[in-house]
Amino acid sequence: MAEVSIRKAVKSYEAGVQAVKSIDLEIADREFVVLVVPSGCGKSTTLRMVAGLEDITGGEIWIGGDLVNDIPPRDRDIAMVFQNYALYPHMSVFDNMAFGLKLRRFPREEIRKRVDEAARILDITALLGRKPRALSGGQRQRVAMGRAIVRHPKVFLFDEPLSNLDAQLRVQMRTEIKKVHQSVRTTTVYVTHDQVEAMTLADRVVVMNQGRIEQVGPPQMLYHHPATRFVAGFIGSPAMNFLPCRLERMGACLGVRLSETVLLAVPASRTARYEPCLGRPMVLGLRPEHLTDPREPARPDAARLDVAVDVVEPMGMETLVHFVIGATPACARVDPATPAVPGGVLALHADMGQMHLIEDAAGSVV
Amino acid sequence: MAEEQSVIATMKRGQAAGLLVLFLGPAIAVYTLFSIWPLIATIRLSSYASQQDGTLLFAGLSNFVTVLTDPGWRGPFLNALGNNVVFFLIHMAVQNPIGIALAALLSLPQPALRATYRTLIFLPTMLSVVIVGFAWNLILSPLWGVASGLLKAVGLGMLFHPWLGLESTALPTLALISVWQFVGITMMLIYAALLNIPEELVDAARVDGLSHFRIFLHVKLPLILPTIGLVSILTFVANFNAFDLIYSVKGALAGPNFATDILGTLFYRTFFGNQLQLGSPTMGATVATLMFLVILVGVMAYLFLIQRRMQRYSF
Repeated sequence: MAEVSIRKAVKSYEAGVQAVKSIDLEIADREFVVLVVPSGCGKSTTLRMVAGLEDITGGEIWIGGDLVNDIPPRDRDIAMVFQNYALYPHMSVFDNMAFGLKLRRFPREEIRKRVDEAARILDITALLGRKPRALSGGQRQRVAMGRAIVRHPKVFLFDEPLSNLDAQLRVQMRTEIKKVHQSVRTTTVYVTHDQVEAMTLADRVVVMNQGRIEQVGPPQMLYHHPATRFVAGFIGSPAMNFLPCRLERMGACLGVRLSETVLLAVPASRTARYEPCLGRPMVLGLRPEHLTDPREPARPDAARLDVAVDVVEPMGMETLVHFVIGATPACARVDPATPAVPGGVLALHADMGQMHLIEDAAGSVV
Repeated sequence: MAEEQSVIATMKRGQAAGLLVLFLGPAIAVYTLFSIWPLIATIRLSSYASQQDGTLLFAGLSNFVTVLTDPGWRGPFLNALGNNVVFFLIHMAVQNPIGIALAALLSLPQPALRATYRTLIFLPTMLSVVIVGFAWNLILSPLWGVASGLLKAVGLGMLFHPWLGLESTALPTLALISVWQFVGITMMLIYAALLNIPEELVDAARVDGLSHFRIFLHVKLPLILPTIGLVSILTFVANFNAFDLIYSVKGALAGPNFATDILGTLFYRTFFGNQLQLGSPTMGATVATLMFLVILVGVMAYLFLIQRRMQRYSF
């Protein structure tokens, strides 16, 4: 059990490529932090730096109050779960889990006890005698987690552990991981490119982009109050609509001008906040779930919007409607009963209470 | 797969057979012509005895009885067989550990000049055995060799002996020359097997708490056992078929006093004759057949006793 702090950590490679550019992150004891990184952005580098598998070029990494920059992985008291499970193919499941303990010269009964306990938590007791190749992907993943659990390490590191599983198993294992964390309460750092995993698992989500931290916060905060256009677009599925716009005065309030004909009223409470942006090119961010059918009774901040429907995608519990505003494609999530037909006109309500106003050039949310 | 099967299933019998001949025929023809037929011809020849007038007479197993019991044959044969076993054991004890160690060093994360070392160590393998034999003859020569000078230069002059000329050391010296030449092959095969082990597995072992040496011992070594087995059996076959190095360094008489005589050189003298000894194709074929049987028994033992228990791992 320990806190992890990453202070001004930098990783650069010989070719002058900076994979990680000065990261600061404080992770509290028992916290579950998910680093969510879009594919191909030095995804695992940060995690491998914490593990000690990768040297850091600059900055400091502290685990449980110790500076670990120059400490090899085996002395950092961490356990890691890998993307491809990395089970020792020549050892049984029991030996895979017991190996780290045997090396540390734990007494035999203690090893037995810990492995049995972990196997019980993960429901793999029946598999202890098998070799990894006789296991399915999900079972291998459980064993890999078991190998981490038995060590009772200070920190768990997960490197995209679910990306090799099929969709159904992924959802199931996601729940398992959360359950395991709730029962062992070990500080956890988890790397993924899947924002759904990040949202569902994390106490706090760290969104990284191009080797920098874009925003850190609890999942709900990232969803409702993204700090940048990148976070706004990355969290949530389908992604937030970004519509180029200008602010105009509408009497005492402000309005968002999307096109010649479309002007949406901004809630009065935000007038002071948005006033400095008058006249500059801005981007309106509005999630598909906040572009819905007209409801009775109408919400106070709802603005009516008529759109020409391009594509209708029924999902069962909801229907996605794609259309174009100005020249920008956008998407709305409407009730399945809504009579939307391609080519037809659909009346939508934009919930302007949920709008985000983004600086077009800087990408920061006002 | 299912589609391919159905294509064959729809063929007429003759057509399918024609396909088989087309695909397997060339390989079988070449293999039969150059391997199976000479082997059978040799075994057949070993069961004949040549008469004074040069004609061959069927003699059953009497040639084998002669080689294994006749005092004039039994001694040289057992001497050659024993030397061959020593030759092989020295290879196993020296070539494989060194080859494995070199491969392990090469596969560490950060050795500089990796490619240079790899090439240098592999270089002797590409040299002709005649050149290797000649070069080592010069190096170790007590008259003009550099070995004694080098040893003297570092104050170890008293360690020098004419290793190739002493009965007690000639065979081990030749075996070590052979090891020097072929350790590159062992290294390359094992290196390739080591590269096949996923990086993630090594990372996992590092996190589990193993040093590089123990990762090698507990994780990598068990995973490359099949390759080590393969290298061993290749060494076995090559050693019991060896001839060229001994011949180029010591000549057909494999001196001193037959101390370096192995089955290959014994066969050569028997078949082609040497100095006062007349060549005898039938007795030569008998020795060759015995060599074949020794190798056959060794390879079979390996296949049935060891290979079967070994597991190959896919990652």
